[in-house]
Amino acid sequence: MIGLARDQSAALGLIVICVTVLMAVLAPALAPLDPVKNSLVDRLTPPMWNAGGSAKHPLGTDTLGRDVASRLLYGARVSLIVGLAAVVIAGVLGVGLGLLSGYYRGWADDALMRLGDVQLAFPVLVLAVAVLAVLGASLANVILVLGVTGWITYARIVRGETLSLRQREFVEAARALGATDGYLLWRHILPNVLPPVTVVATFSVARTIIAEASLSFLGLGIPPPAPSWGAMLDEGRNYITTGWWLALFPGLAILLLVLGINLVGDWLRDQLDPRMERSM
Amino acid sequence: MIRRSRLLIVASMLTWPLVAAGQQPAGPPRAVDGVAIDPDAELIVALADDTTNMDPRIGMGSIRSNYIRQVFEGLVDVDAQGRPAPGLALSWKPVGELTWEFALRRGVTFHDGEPFNADTVLFNLDRFFRRNLDRWSIKDVLAATQFEKTYPFVTRWEKVDDYTVRIHTSEPAPTLWDFIGREPMVPKAYTVKNGVDGLNDRPVGTGPWKMVEWKRKTSMLFERNDGYWGTHPLFRKMRFQTIPEGAARIAALRAGQVGLIEGVPPFDAPALGQDPRLKVAASPQKLSCRLYVNGRPKDKYDSGGKDGLFSDQRVRLALNLAVNKEAIIKKIFNGYALANASPVASVSYGYAAQEPYPYDPARARTLLADAGFRDTNPLTLQLLFPAKHYGQSFDEMTPAVAEMLKDVGVQVTLKPVDFATLLQTATKGTLPPNGGFAACRTGNNLDADDYLRDWGAIAMINWAPYPPELMALYTATRREVDAQKRLRLLADLQRQVRDWAPVVALYQEVKVYAHSARVLRFTPLPELNMDFRGVAVKK
Amino acid sequence: MRAFLLRRALHAVFVLWGVVTAVFFLVRLTGDPTPFLVDQSATQQEIADARRHLGLDRALHVQYLEFLRSVPRGDFGTSIREKRPAMQMVLEHLWPATVELAAAALLISTGLAIPLGVASATHKNGLVDHASRLASLFLQSMPSFWLGLMLILLFAVELGGLLPAFGSGGVRHLILPAVTLAAAPLAQNVRLIRSGMLEVLQQDYVRTARAKGLAERLVIYRHALRNAAIPVITVTGLSLGFMLSGAVIIETVFSWPGMGRLIVQAVPGRDFPVIQAGVFVFALIFVGLNLIVDLLYTVVDPRVRLT
Repeated sequence: MIGLARDQSAALGLIVICVTVLMAVLAPALAPLDPVKNSLVDRLTPPMWNAGGSAKHPLGTDTLGRDVASRLLYGARVSLIVGLAAVVIAGVLGVGLGLLSGYYRGWADDALMRLGDVQLAFPVLVLAVAVLAVLGASLANVILVLGVTGWITYARIVRGETLSLRQREFVEAARALGATDGYLLWRHILPNVLPPVTVVATFSVARTIIAEASLSFLGLGIPPPAPSWGAMLDEGRNYITTGWWLALFPGLAILLLVLGINLVGDWLRDQLDPRMERSM
Repeated sequence: MIRRSRLLIVASMLTWPLVAAGQQPAGPPRAVDGVAIDPDAELIVALADDTTNMDPRIGMGSIRSNYIRQVFEGLVDVDAQGRPAPGLALSWKPVGELTWEFALRRGVTFHDGEPFNADTVLFNLDRFFRRNLDRWSIKDVLAATQFEKTYPFVTRWEKVDDYTVRIHTSEPAPTLWDFIGREPMVPKAYTVKNGVDGLNDRPVGTGPWKMVEWKRKTSMLFERNDGYWGTHPLFRKMRFQTIPEGAARIAALRAGQVGLIEGVPPFDAPALGQDPRLKVAASPQKLSCRLYVNGRPKDKYDSGGKDGLFSDQRVRLALNLAVNKEAIIKKIFNGYALANASPVASVSYGYAAQEPYPYDPARARTLLADAGFRDTNPLTLQLLFPAKHYGQSFDEMTPAVAEMLKDVGVQVTLKPVDFATLLQTATKGTLPPNGGFAACRTGNNLDADDYLRDWGAIAMINWAPYPPELMALYTATRREVDAQKRLRLLADLQRQVRDWAPVVALYQEVKVYAHSARVLRFTPLPELNMDFRGVAVKK
Repeated sequence: MRAFLLRRALHAVFVLWGVVTAVFFLVRLTGDPTPFLVDQSATQQEIADARRHLGLDRALHVQYLEFLRSVPRGDFGTSIREKRPAMQMVLEHLWPATVELAAAALLISTGLAIPLGVASATHKNGLVDHASRLASLFLQSMPSFWLGLMLILLFAVELGGLLPAFGSGGVRHLILPAVTLAAAPLAQNVRLIRSGMLEVLQQDYVRTARAKGLAERLVIYRHALRNAAIPVITVTGLSLGFMLSGAVIIETVFSWPGMGRLIVQAVPGRDFPVIQAGVFVFALIFVGLNLIVDLLYTVVDPRVRLT
């Protein structure tokens, strides 16, 4: 950021993330109204500083009369849960498979990398659309789809690191002393693999949050009436001129959260692995 | 000699102005209502989608209708109020109980010059009912409506003379003029020569427009048919441009890139109306949106051994009383929708207005309690709804309706599904006993029977079959050939169906168009297609 | 080299086989397309007839084998919705629509990135540097469709039709969608080039070249950029993949008649032939691009061994 050192930007990012987490956790206490109950009478009231707005709905209401501020607070939950859960799934899957693949090599390694190639060649959105069409759209299924499609990145990085690590002296030494494979993987290789994985994971969370918004935009995300920022953006896009607040606030929320995460990720990368390609 | 020739010269000089005046080319008018128009203008019309076919047999859904009916026409035409009018047939009447006779219009030619006559009609009937296809050596197409299965009582057809056709049936068929008359007619020689693929790619019809160019999924260019038998459009060229997003269509209209748009979302209509350069026009459509609830009895259908929870008429009536249609129409549709208690669309032939269902939640609760549903044993409803299929307003309306039902004690679970899944569930009959779905029913034809037949046969749309009395009345309407008597029977049936409440009526669609103020005399039809005959563009 | 190419070709064929098999079974899992073909009041018999007409009543492995046989011929069947050859439909959407959009976006995202990245690196902490880094951060944090909607609002509506909001057919129509599609990759590339250049500019051989009195311009473009180009090539390869699939959203927002939108719209409509054909073409392009990227590596960096 302009004029600020890396550390200060990261701190700013961390503050944004913490605020969002607080919002999500404290939503029931903070939210003025029920985010799901609709009321035609209150439909499309503007934010309170506009003509026609009221303090009852500080950020206005949507097309079904639901309070935007409340939905924003509860929506933080969805974004954070989807972002974290999907990345955890992808991470665990990818790291696990990458470790095994890089350590044991052989036909399993080949098969896994081929599978990864096939999955990469498949257009991600089409895959998501098709899978969700089969399983039906729900919070769990969206997390599943985003998680399962993300394993390759981690697997590749981890496999690469494992391949080089397994040749190193300390590994040979430990093996000579009678260490089992499991022990080696767990105590020696995994800790060395984690720093780049952490950096990638951080940026992944940001990307997943945007991906969820994109899925909602195509009508495939968390089904209504659940308040997700992506779904709110999609509902608001038809009202850009007459109901600008519907798309502005969730869009701003996504932007700020993702920005914060990216700033923290930059800082993490500088700390953990400055050699790493700044391509993430 | 000289005098005679001089006389001739003088005579011709004197009469020349008269002759010239008589020979004034009757070209297209240059002014309409006192306003100068541009007869060579090209009007660009923005539609939400392209058509997938131009052969009418393959299908005539709402978007396709728009394209196909510019080029093709049927025996029966529609006027601006949606009433049947002479089209390619000048008149039609029943001859006895089992025959219909159509008197055809003379002097009509297809765009390639082929004449339209009784042979054309016979050929088209063969195509509808899939007979003699090998005689004409044309391919069979998988059609959306299979005439031989839907109207098996039509037996044979013959030509009486070059401009009269008779169609015979095995039982009285009072709506034959409708389901046969509204089907567009294709040219016989052209189709036989070029095959159905040729007809689909380069359509040739009798309509006011000729298709000139088709860029799939992008645009279709039409040119005026100067040999058209009826009212001509007053501008030369028209381009149908595909713009899927409603907001993009409106932006294009505002920016002057298109002259007319269809499918204006109701929430955008007021803002457009305030723009002095634009005009908004609307017309009710034959599209009724409802909640279909599972009222199938276990003995009639493969319902897994259980009665649908909504087979009690009181329950369905209660749901109808619980929905505040006025609020929905005013708030979500900005007034661009109709509340209609008759199962038949208000613009259909044979429609009889019914007493509207009042908004009465108290009485709804009482009715539900009478039927056995109270706080301790609440009525549950698993409502499937096809999100993003019918438009933004439908998507907003469904949760609002669900909330209204919740207010009278019904526990509604909304389940958004994609349209294909909904179709599949309805087709296979796999709704649970407390299941239902929100959907809109289009009427393709003019007659009220199009709507009333829903609950008469075993089909995917029938979730509350007619009880015996209603079935008898319905059968009577299908047998009464005398028009006046039939209208009375239809009115009676509609009144009883209103009370029987087979579905939860929500609203009837009003389609909104917007166009530049330079487009004159555009009137939307209560039909799926737009009609540009008589429309002009200001200079 | 030849062995390398042969191995890569075999690998590519395998990947394509995997993709078409996956899509074959996946679409059939999504359900039955026949309800779309028949009337609202169709009977079970009519529906069964329609299924037979489409060949969907045969055993799955029979359908699969026939599918595999017809793929090398380029025959992916007839679209259920439009009753035309599916591959023809896909190609009509690919060329020129999707290719135009991807090419324009690629041009913007790499073409603009090089001067911006170089300027950022050579004038580190200057105004251009800070401005481009800030912009990059924001652009990468924004959902692409939001950016697209804001641009439509600004250019097509507020500024009274400066740029068209819909459809294709000319350079003017291409600008907004291409810019929106290129935004995130551009941001990424600028940061990449900047960091790559920064690293390289500190290297000894650069200092040597400078000390030798070589013109600054030559130093930057001939020596430094060449080495900084490697990560850019990787990322460009990947971002092409992103562009081809991310284009779906842009195509939807701007009503651009491209291939991505065709495929995604075919899924709810259960138009199997079109989905299969489209995914195949997409995979073909992706695999082909990867091959080109690998070959480019050898040109740019002879140290890379092709294993």
